[in-house]
Amino acid sequence: MSEITITLTLNGESREGRALPAQTAVSFLRDVMGQKSVKEGCGIGECGACTIIFNGKAVNSCLMPAAQLNGAVVETTEGLEKNGQPHPLQEAFVKHNAIQCGYCSPGFMMNAKALLDHSPSPSREEVTKALAGNICRCTGYQQIVDAVMDASEVMRKGAAS
Amino acid sequence: MTDAKYIGKDLIHPRIWEKARGEALFAADLAPADCLVLKALRAGRHHAEIVSIDCAAAEKLPGVVRVFTAADIPGRNAMGIINKDHPVLAVGKVRSWGDAVALVAAETEEAAQAALRAIKVEWKELPAILDPREALAEGAAKIHAEGNLLYKRVVKRGDVDAAFAQAHHVVEKSYKTPFIEHCYMEPDAGFGYMSDDGVITIEVCTQNPHYDLGDVSAMMGLPEEKIRVIQAVTGGGFGGKLDISVQGYIALAVHHLKRPVRYFYNKEEAFLATCKRHPMWIDIKTAVDKDGKLLATKCRIIEDGGAYGSYGIAVATRAAVHATGPYDVPNTDIEALEVYTNNTFTGAMRGFGTPQIAFAYESQMDLHAQALGLDPVEIRFRNALRPGAILATGQQVEHSLGLPDCLEAVRPYYNEAVAKWAKETPSSPSRRRGVGVGAMWYGVGNTAAQNPSTAQIAIDTEGAVTVFTGCADIGQGSSLVLLQMAGEILGIHPDKLKLVSADTKFTTNAGASSASRQTYISGNAVCIATASMADMLLTRAVDRLKVAKDDLELHDFTVRQKSKPEHSISFAKLAQNLHHLGLPLTFSGFFDPVTTPLTPEDGQGVPYATYAFACQMAQVEVDVLTGEVDVKKVVAAHDVGRAISPINLAGQIAGGVAIGQGYALLEEFEMGTTESLKDYHLATTTDMPEVVPILVEAHEPSGPFGAKGIGEPSLIPTAPAIVNAIDMALGQRIYALPASLERVLEASKAAGHFDKFGG
Repeated sequence: MSEITITLTLNGESREGRALPAQTAVSFLRDVMGQKSVKEGCGIGECGACTIIFNGKAVNSCLMPAAQLNGAVVETTEGLEKNGQPHPLQEAFVKHNAIQCGYCSPGFMMNAKALLDHSPSPSREEVTKALAGNICRCTGYQQIVDAVMDASEVMRKGAAS
Repeated sequence: MTDAKYIGKDLIHPRIWEKARGEALFAADLAPADCLVLKALRAGRHHAEIVSIDCAAAEKLPGVVRVFTAADIPGRNAMGIINKDHPVLAVGKVRSWGDAVALVAAETEEAAQAALRAIKVEWKELPAILDPREALAEGAAKIHAEGNLLYKRVVKRGDVDAAFAQAHHVVEKSYKTPFIEHCYMEPDAGFGYMSDDGVITIEVCTQNPHYDLGDVSAMMGLPEEKIRVIQAVTGGGFGGKLDISVQGYIALAVHHLKRPVRYFYNKEEAFLATCKRHPMWIDIKTAVDKDGKLLATKCRIIEDGGAYGSYGIAVATRAAVHATGPYDVPNTDIEALEVYTNNTFTGAMRGFGTPQIAFAYESQMDLHAQALGLDPVEIRFRNALRPGAILATGQQVEHSLGLPDCLEAVRPYYNEAVAKWAKETPSSPSRRRGVGVGAMWYGVGNTAAQNPSTAQIAIDTEGAVTVFTGCADIGQGSSLVLLQMAGEILGIHPDKLKLVSADTKFTTNAGASSASRQTYISGNAVCIATASMADMLLTRAVDRLKVAKDDLELHDFTVRQKSKPEHSISFAKLAQNLHHLGLPLTFSGFFDPVTTPLTPEDGQGVPYATYAFACQMAQVEVDVLTGEVDVKKVVAAHDVGRAISPINLAGQIAGGVAIGQGYALLEEFEMGTTESLKDYHLATTTDMPEVVPILVEAHEPSGPFGAKGIGEPSLIPTAPAIVNAIDMALGQRIYALPASLERVLEASKAAGHFDKFGG
């Protein structure tokens, strides 16, 4: 099997890596790009632990061939912190204790970021619906939804100031 | 202690930021890309003799390094937390679908898979027994040589027959609960290597590294010094990471190959090869007098142990001991049978048998309340354990009995929900509203067995303080709680303390992160160690500051005079002084709650030193046409003894309610049907109710700062509360979990609601 070259914009940087033709995006991002925050949970697109932001949309990277990342703009949790400043979502997840074991957290934060990037003032119901593709077995979700609501407020204030 | 600085405060977990940054390294993140891949060949049948295994073709495939079978295991080929009946690699026969027959080590995942396909096993099928009641029948095929009954626990006191004869009201019912998969988000994973000093080192997700160490060293026939288990960041467990998963395979391959290896289960393998919550068949008969006071409980429990024991013996005892519910019941006759079948083995799953039995005893309470026209909160209040009560085990309880307070906390919510919310128009005409309560009790720590924890705290000559604990934080937050306790005693913010945890090289045994025991038991061990260090520092400071000890206090790495705080000496100087004098810089603590074994014939003794209590209320809407149950709100009052970390407790409660709701409505593991997240349904954000946590503090005298535990109590009352609420909505009771769409619809039809809508 011949490897293919993948060029992508990863967390704002231009990156290049070699992937096997059958490789999934989650495997390429973890093993070639070193993005260990992208977790493999179920491998069949049911749990959302592998959620990344792909061209502005939250997607399950376990269902995506690595080849599809070529030319794409990709965000992972590693890219949330900017200039040593945590993203409001990270601050809010910590403040609300929305993280217990932490395995699902990067996926939730990616999904939440994709939502807030497009819809800065979501209702609680919209947040709840948007996160329904991600499973958390520890928290019962309440703190996660609280955290996303809080982050959206902080981001709005930040944008206004 | 009312002026606590750190106890009862909402502090940040020491490792939460690395998780928020995506930097926390789970076992699958630690393994180098070029290490060998391990994969087990699973039986793929319920019960069969192995006539022969031929690995020659598999071993010749490109990229395949070695295929191991049972003959390659140098030591004891048996694992199991209580009884060692579970082969690491099968010998002679397999007893369940997920049994490992051979282990492949290969250069790549693909080569490993190819090798699995190339291993030739000749089988002779044996009759499969998938129902424990059949396994108990005369002449049933023997799953283990000793027979199919693994264990029988009897708890008996008083005279139930006389009590039933005199009773005002008797209810006799049968209940059934399903297999439950833990569904921790991180599939089991580990990697291992031979360290430079010849120690087999395993970094793995686990709830108990020191248990892993013992079983792996026995399996390898090596002294414990030759094995090191390091808990990697662990993505949940809920009891499913107490048994050995990949540890033994990794040790075996590292021992023979002297190369780094990894074994990551995929989700399906995690479903297939790890333990489940026990299904139970519960026949229960209870009686009350005219005031609703419980007189007797007679109960027979049959538990599907699956193919191997795991924690099954403890599950049987815990279910039996808790079968009365958190109530004063003078006459009891309880029997629990733990039975082998050819199903996936069952073991610990958040509650150790108590979620099952709570479903039964809390349904009974509502049946009595309905018959007597009593309010469900009131009947529980009248029966709640109070100081001086004697349990079914004969244990007299005196302290920290917080159920009445939990009930009082829930009562106004319940009254309001029944009086107002339940009478309002539901969100759709085909929906009916119901409100239910569930109560529970939970013995903290292992059942009728000593279960010590140990800890150390050390100060170095620069004054830095490090807590050492074997306790595995699997996301529940024990690391934070232990540091809060040490910080409180030392007058140091927990953020400024260092922590070394769950590494068998640097820490000593803390026992399992299970049985809701770490706050209580390891908390005590840490407090005892810390208190002796504090005492040593104060004593040295007397000499150095020329101030009496009772006028000294610890504050932010100094000892200072209370009446003149500027008169102080730093921890660093005191530690240098200790070192100079040859006094210890490291201090140890251990704690082992007082229990006694239970008598085999009637289960009398002291199974636990303390009990946690709770009451939850659920408000539900039931769609009579679809069977859908929409849980709107859960109020959860929990007696935790003392709230060390309220924010963490609230998290445990909300998470417990989610798992409890899944148990009530959604979840059921069936071999061959629900072996992945496609078919095994979990609640998501849109399914969850509003959860209102209420913390009740009935001080436990033997607890650290008065604390008990929360991990398991948080989910135990949820399913009973939901089932009782469904009963109120439909006027029809559900006797088998889960209350799935089909079962609820059936109940709706039986109650005539479905027909009323012309369905």
